[in-house]
Amino acid sequence: MNMKPENPLEPDVARDATYHRAPEALREKVSASIKDMARAERGPAFGRWMLLAASFAAVSFVSWNAALMTAASHDNAIENEVLTAHVRSLMVPGRLADVESTDQHTVKPWFAGKIDFAPPVRDLAADGYPLTGGRLDYIDGRAVAALTYRIRLHPVNVFVWPAAGASDSAPKMQTAKGYSIAHWTRAGMRYWAVTDAGPEEISRFAEILASG
Amino acid sequence: MSRHSDFSRSVMPHLDAAYNLARWLTRNDHDAEDVVQEAMIRAYRFFESLREADARPWLLAIVRNTGYTWLAKNRPADVVPIDDTSTLASDVVTIGHTSPTETNPEVILLQSANRKIVNQALEDLPVGYREVLVMRELEDLSYKEIASVAGIPIGTVMSRLSRGRDLLKSAIELRMRKAS
Repeated sequence: MNMKPENPLEPDVARDATYHRAPEALREKVSASIKDMARAERGPAFGRWMLLAASFAAVSFVSWNAALMTAASHDNAIENEVLTAHVRSLMVPGRLADVESTDQHTVKPWFAGKIDFAPPVRDLAADGYPLTGGRLDYIDGRAVAALTYRIRLHPVNVFVWPAAGASDSAPKMQTAKGYSIAHWTRAGMRYWAVTDAGPEEISRFAEILASG
Repeated sequence: MSRHSDFSRSVMPHLDAAYNLARWLTRNDHDAEDVVQEAMIRAYRFFESLREADARPWLLAIVRNTGYTWLAKNRPADVVPIDDTSTLASDVVTIGHTSPTETNPEVILLQSANRKIVNQALEDLPVGYREVLVMRELEDLSYKEIASVAGIPIGTVMSRLSRGRDLLKSAIELRMRKAS
C-alpha cells in the first residue's frame, strides 16, 4: 500500500500492518502433531520399540554423566541434520540459495521478517571465501539461516541459529561420509558449517568466520 | 530421507506465513492457532501433492481453505462474496520504498498511530479484499501466486487489489479524520 510513497509518514500496509508470527507454543504443538503422524505411519511396532527405548533412557538418566551423553547425542543428531540439509541443498538446482548475492548487505536484510533473529552475515572474499547467498532451512526443530559460501569450487553451507545462554566455544572439526563439518558458538549464535572441501580448508574457514 | 524430515525442512519454515494469513482471516489469535494446527495436519497428509520447490504458496492455499471452512462454520457473516464485475481492473503499481529510520519522537508517535489505524482498517475490510492485500503486501507473493492460492484468475487478483487498496485508503482517511 503506497498511496504517497514519497511521504514516509503516510500509512502504508506493508510497513504498518502487523505481520503476525506464529507463537512458540503453536510451533511446538504443530511439531508434536506432525511427529505423532509420522510415528503412526511407521506402525505400532515402532511405537513399542520407542517405549522400550524410552524406559532405557529413563534408567540412563540416573547416571551421573547422563547430561554429557545427551549433549553428545544431540550434537550427533544435529550433525546428521546438517549433513542432510547440505546434501539436499545441492541436489535440487536453485535450492542452494534463495537470495543469490555476494553482497552481505543484500543477504542480511533478506532474512528480516523471515526468521526471528538476525544472523551475522560476513563476506569472506578477501580471505578467499566469497559469500554466495542465503536461504532458510530447518535444523534442530527450528527455522535457521543458511548462508552459502565457496571454498574454491566447493560450496559451503553455514547454518546459524540462536543458542540461548550458550557461551562461546572454539570451532570443533569432524568428518562424516566424506564431508567436513565444523561447529562453534559465538555471541549467542550456534554455527554449523559443512562442505566437501578438505578438513584443513573448513578448519581455516571456520577460524576466520569464528574470529570475526 | 523420511517424509517427516522432508516436511520439516520444506514446510515448517513457512509456519509464520501460515499463521499470519490465518490470523488475518480469523482476526483472532486463538482461532488462528486452531486453523493453522488443522492446516498443518492437512498439509502433512497431502504432502505428496507439493510439486513446487517453494512450499509457501502451496501451504497458504491449504491455510486459506481451512480458514474459509472455519469461517463458514463459525462466522458465516464474515464470508461475503465479492462482485468482481463491478470493479475496475486498473491496478495500482506498488513502488517499493524504505521505511524511515528517524528517531524523532513525533515521527515515532505518528507511526504508531498509523500502525493502529492501518491494522484496524485492514481488519474491517471484507475478507476477499483483506486476504489479497495481506498476501501481496505482507507476504510479498506475486499476482500469479496469489491467483493460485485463492483460486481466482490473475485479472481478478489485480482488480481486488486495486479495489481493496481504494477501500482501505478511504477507511484509513476516515479513521484519521476521526482521530484528529
